[in-house]
Amino acid sequence: MVPYETAAIPIANPPATSSSTTTTTTISKPPEIDGLLAGAGYKVRSSDLRHVAQRLERLETAMLNSPSQHLSLLASDAVLYNPSDLSTWVDSLLSELNQSQSLPSLPSDLSDLVSNPTALDGSWMDQQLPPPTAAIHNQQPSQLTVVEEDSGIRLVHMLMTCAEYVQRGELSLAGSLIQDMQSLLTRVNTGCGIGKVAGCFIDALSRRVFAAGGGGGIPGSAYETEILYHHFYEACPYLKFAHFTANQAILEAFDGHDCVHVVDFNLMHGLQWPALIQALALRPGGPPTLRLTGIGPPSPDGRDSLREIGLRLAELARSVNVRFAFRGVAASRLEDVKPWMLQVNPKEAVAVNSIMQLHKLLAGPGLDPAHRPAPIEAVLGWIRSLNPKIVTVVEHEADHNQPGFLDRFTESLYYYSTMFDSLDACALQPEKALAEMYIQREICNVVSCEGPARLERHEPLARWRERLGRAGFRPLHLGSNAFKQASMLLTLFSAEGYCVEENEGCLTLGWHSRPLIAASAWHALPETAAVSPDVAVVGGAVM
Amino acid sequence: MARSNEVSINESKQMVVPLNTWVLISNFKLAYNLLRRPDGTFNRHLAEFLDRKVPANANPIDGVFSFDVIVDRATNLLCRIYRPSDTDEPPNVADLEKPVKSESSSTVPVIVFFHGGSFAHSSANSAIYDTLCRRLVGLCRAVVVSVNYRRAPEHRYPCAYDDGWTVLNWVKSRAWLESTDSKVHIFLAGDSSGGNIAHHVALKAAESESGIEVLGNILLNPMFGGELRTESEKRLDGKYFVSVQDRDWYWRAFLPDGADRDHPACNPFGPKAASLEGVKFPKSLVVVAGLDLVQDWQMAYVEGLKKAGKQVKDLYLEKATIGFYLLPNNAHFHIVMDEIKKFVSSNC
Repeated sequence: MVPYETAAIPIANPPATSSSTTTTTTISKPPEIDGLLAGAGYKVRSSDLRHVAQRLERLETAMLNSPSQHLSLLASDAVLYNPSDLSTWVDSLLSELNQSQSLPSLPSDLSDLVSNPTALDGSWMDQQLPPPTAAIHNQQPSQLTVVEEDSGIRLVHMLMTCAEYVQRGELSLAGSLIQDMQSLLTRVNTGCGIGKVAGCFIDALSRRVFAAGGGGGIPGSAYETEILYHHFYEACPYLKFAHFTANQAILEAFDGHDCVHVVDFNLMHGLQWPALIQALALRPGGPPTLRLTGIGPPSPDGRDSLREIGLRLAELARSVNVRFAFRGVAASRLEDVKPWMLQVNPKEAVAVNSIMQLHKLLAGPGLDPAHRPAPIEAVLGWIRSLNPKIVTVVEHEADHNQPGFLDRFTESLYYYSTMFDSLDACALQPEKALAEMYIQREICNVVSCEGPARLERHEPLARWRERLGRAGFRPLHLGSNAFKQASMLLTLFSAEGYCVEENEGCLTLGWHSRPLIAASAWHALPETAAVSPDVAVVGGAVM
Repeated sequence: MARSNEVSINESKQMVVPLNTWVLISNFKLAYNLLRRPDGTFNRHLAEFLDRKVPANANPIDGVFSFDVIVDRATNLLCRIYRPSDTDEPPNVADLEKPVKSESSSTVPVIVFFHGGSFAHSSANSAIYDTLCRRLVGLCRAVVVSVNYRRAPEHRYPCAYDDGWTVLNWVKSRAWLESTDSKVHIFLAGDSSGGNIAHHVALKAAESESGIEVLGNILLNPMFGGELRTESEKRLDGKYFVSVQDRDWYWRAFLPDGADRDHPACNPFGPKAASLEGVKFPKSLVVVAGLDLVQDWQMAYVEGLKKAGKQVKDLYLEKATIGFYLLPNNAHFHIVMDEIKKFVSSNC
């Protein structure tokens, strides 16, 4: 056993030059966190170091006393959370070991997509460390493929210059540069790679610069949007990952409840729900009564697409003997939805599911809050008032809501280049082409729209953590079981290159080490009682 | 599994590591115990779940920015490139591969770095290695290319070496990495298994008549071994985070089926290895930690290089344990960083 220094070492945050963390440009870290370990990805309070060290020693002894088969089983079966929080991590391993030593467990069979809901060893633990203050991720990682053609590089140079002109308001200069780029584009392969991405951004810039009335996205009906969305769903795993991860968390949150209600902020074709319905059907002890409230835009020309989808889901539910009720709420904007429309019953366990919707509620920074407060606060407020067991949130992992145009442009260029790169691996047509159009629309919105028209106001996970924390939500950590199953699914169904990463209780999906979307789960502390944030909510138990 | 916990009082006074280092490496040790299965398979999902990773960051942090590049799509071979920056402004997207000679009239070393992890653990984007690579940039005013090589047991010998060789060729052919003399000044570096990989990639470069000149090898606690049980292995078994049993496991996971630890990959100066005499092998800096149980093999490596007439400097740090270079909280760390800086700059 290697002893450590027994004298107390004051571990101050090291000076910024030697070993600052490389991920966040933090304005201030909580002073108690050991700075060197933070650089290695672990959050431990300096005052806790000794305690953690002692627990590690205990853990080592416990592991030594376990046969190695036991350890492997523990590793496969135990659901583990948030490895960054070393203190909790070590303690949870210790308790797993103690449990498994008394009751040898059998490896669970994960042959179907549904997790075994009985493998719920882990308890939902609220984070014991104070949330980091004002850590703004200013990530601009690049995943550009090596550009062989000089024209490709020139295009990128020109794009950046053009974006600068736009930022400075020199629209005529921007305009002529756009024309130059369009002609250069004819000499570049726009089928893939840098040519394709450049093409989208040139188009978006030209809409911004040349559109009458200043800036416009690509017009399209809700119906067209649905079609493109569906193809994006098929062509790459981002939405599937979002649905799968959210369903896993919802399933676990619903454990032990007989009446459950899912509120989906964007029903689309209801692609997420068949898997959940089937998982609930297979639940030991029988399925609960499931209500699904799907929010979506009103359909034009007399169709009631929400109801049609609801009917299809109801049929599925009937076929697997799940008592099911559906309600559609038509609203063109999420902020138009009022909680009473959802008709939530206080006896139900409620799950609120938001896949790429919350960012649309962000007022642009700089808008006078006195005139129009950000709808996000109000919406988070009424979500909380529903007292949901779980709120699943999936968002783009990017900062496309920066006030400065050039920053936004640059960040989105990196982000969407990576996303396009990942799509290049898809062979399905027309899924791929339509998925690219779906992405192109997003790019247009980010680049060429402003004000209320700019809906794609993506913000990174760190900012959502802060925002949701301020609104009274606490994280529910996604664990190693969700991670493993997501990884396995990716290996089975997607091109190599996608990777799932664990990020302090949340999961991200990315392409070649660049996270592109982030999935997280939350619950609300009850508004009335003064509850300490250290309350452990054991999965399923009513507080 | 009986293991002696006995530590003499003398030893306990001497062998201290800072508390946070102890916590870090002990955590790795125990987590890794969970990942290695007795049947030789590896719990890769849990390993990836546990590994603390950081994304590349084109914003300069402390004068260094990074970006990822796919070097070979067929094997998804990724590298993370680290470059020095004199401003706080993020580089233009097209400037990521701006020629290094346009920014510096003196030669710019390019360090191809292979992270450690006993061939099975960690990645180029692991937080501990991202931090280390960033330090190397500042220290040597170098571009660092960190290789995300394929790992055991899913990919055995020679995959990691092949990936290293692919990257070496890629680096050599990047015009933007050339210094003002129109040559790319390449060093290979690595810790633990990365050090082993650096040796074998340098060897391949020398033997293949590729014309690729490696200017120097930097090996930090390189991972070597052999069938024989050396004195240091017996003396230090299980004492400082590492055991002979786990070393054996990793070799079984990396080496071809049926091979033993005298395979030249593991034992480059052993009975089955070809002689290095006459091979134009680069100069080496080999750092050995005095509390690393593998040190006898590392010193044998140094001896082997010397006997073959190769230039080698060995730096023996009596009280250092494995991983001492991960956190800048000990004297060994600073000594090694200085030596690396001297080693790289003496060529440039």
